[in-house]
Amino acid sequence: MSESTVPQAKTNGWEPKIVAFCCNWCSYGGADSAGMGRFQQPASTRIIRVMCSGRIDPLHVFNAFLEGADAVLVTGCHIGDCHYVNGNDKTKIKYKYLESVVQQLGIEKERLQLNWISASEGEKFANFIRDVTEQIKKLGPSPLKPEGVV
Amino acid sequence: MQKGEMYVGWSTKEDVRKRGGSGGLVTSMLAAALEKKLVDAVVVLKKINEFEAVPIITSDVNEVLNSAGSLHSVPSNFAKLIADRNLKVALPAKGCDVRAIIEQGKRNAINLDNTFIVGLNCGGSMHPVVTREMLEVMYKIKPEDVHGEEIEKGKLIFETKDGKEHAITIDELEEKGYGRRESCRYCTIKVPNNSDIACGNWGVTGDLVGKATFVEINSEKGAKLLQNAVDAGYVQVQKPDEKGIAIRAKIKGVMEDLGKKWKGKVFVPMDNRLEYFRKELEHCIDCGACKTVCPTCSCGDVSKCTEYHFRGDAYKMSMYHLVRFLHLADACIGCGQCSDVCPVDIPLTRLYRMFANPVQEQLKYEPGMDLRKPPYFEVKLNE
Repeated sequence: MSESTVPQAKTNGWEPKIVAFCCNWCSYGGADSAGMGRFQQPASTRIIRVMCSGRIDPLHVFNAFLEGADAVLVTGCHIGDCHYVNGNDKTKIKYKYLESVVQQLGIEKERLQLNWISASEGEKFANFIRDVTEQIKKLGPSPLKPEGVV
Repeated sequence: MQKGEMYVGWSTKEDVRKRGGSGGLVTSMLAAALEKKLVDAVVVLKKINEFEAVPIITSDVNEVLNSAGSLHSVPSNFAKLIADRNLKVALPAKGCDVRAIIEQGKRNAINLDNTFIVGLNCGGSMHPVVTREMLEVMYKIKPEDVHGEEIEKGKLIFETKDGKEHAITIDELEEKGYGRRESCRYCTIKVPNNSDIACGNWGVTGDLVGKATFVEINSEKGAKLLQNAVDAGYVQVQKPDEKGIAIRAKIKGVMEDLGKKWKGKVFVPMDNRLEYFRKELEHCIDCGACKTVCPTCSCGDVSKCTEYHFRGDAYKMSMYHLVRFLHLADACIGCGQCSDVCPVDIPLTRLYRMFANPVQEQLKYEPGMDLRKPPYFEVKLNE
């Protein structure tokens, strides 16, 4: 990505597109309670609900980036709280590989984040989305965005 | 004979000794294993010409004895050839072949108990096409005239049919972009101690130079293989002298250091990596050849990577390769097959190693060196 596109995108009121993978039992509930608790958060996320964070294949993350996501968030239950006993343990292992590959690829590390959010932590979810949106706004659009996608 | 012992040996057959390299020990050992029914089949290289050979699985002793002789420009990784066949087989293998066979063993495609791996010391191999070009450009001789080749004291020597020898140092060749394949330059497995029995000419001293092979037994299977050959009268062995063992260790050390140096030279840190990968993968035609030859891949024909490589989408990078980058991060053995077969000459091995190096260093895991499972499967899960 050339440096000139960053400030231009900022001045145009560009909003990042963030794909958040949420597990059905915890972080999706967290997003729900963020809404119910009326915590303010930017409208930059597109939530994709999966039954368990262990279901999130690295392939999904790559696909999100290639389709134009500026950031991808992987969220799930706290370790030990998984509805399926050890699904998020598997997420953790997978994420380690994925993180290394994404960083080697040259994508900024802020663009892929992992967080454990329980169903009651609405505020944590809202804060997390706000933080990530701020970080991505500073970075500008993803260099992997296909032509024509804003 | 036991694990850990070393010998110097040679073939008892005059004919094999003459044609084979370093006393023809490996050829005779394989023939003996077949003759005495230790194995059902043997994998050998059938020579097409001085630069090309195809690996074949054979049960014919004469075919094995005829295969004697070494080649330096053969890119062949045997692991996929014997995978999913359930054969009782003995085969010669370079360092990367051995690693590939062990990786396939971990994936239950090869039964390692039934596979006798004869490891060969390997300082590197050459690509047939590059070798032909090199002969015309650097040596100024026609590839068709070449009769034999040899590596001695850091020099690559080609012998033509009229008996003349042409020698150029390997360093000089590699500076010009010829010589060994890139993956061989930074390879650090020169003596395959992960095989059943490691053979090579390093460490042979005195009158025996060029007429005998130095053997190190690495496992019970290896001991069985050599003992069988000695009992059958195919091979003669004697104890090596102290000097020979020291020389072998020294050459090994020097070669490994050289490999490490190359590694530093090839993998320099880069600023705009994403742009680099995008440029390199731009020409990919999604033929899937790199997956087909990959000796550690055992996903089968329909797999995650091949499912997702269509050119109709507007993706900036091939999804196929992204999946493979991740998939091979803990499995890539750096054999160089993918670069060799790529029809549009993408330096794939280098790209795959760029992802594999940090992961494998961080996890202290070297695929194919022992039977340790990939770290992904080692992690203890909550019950």
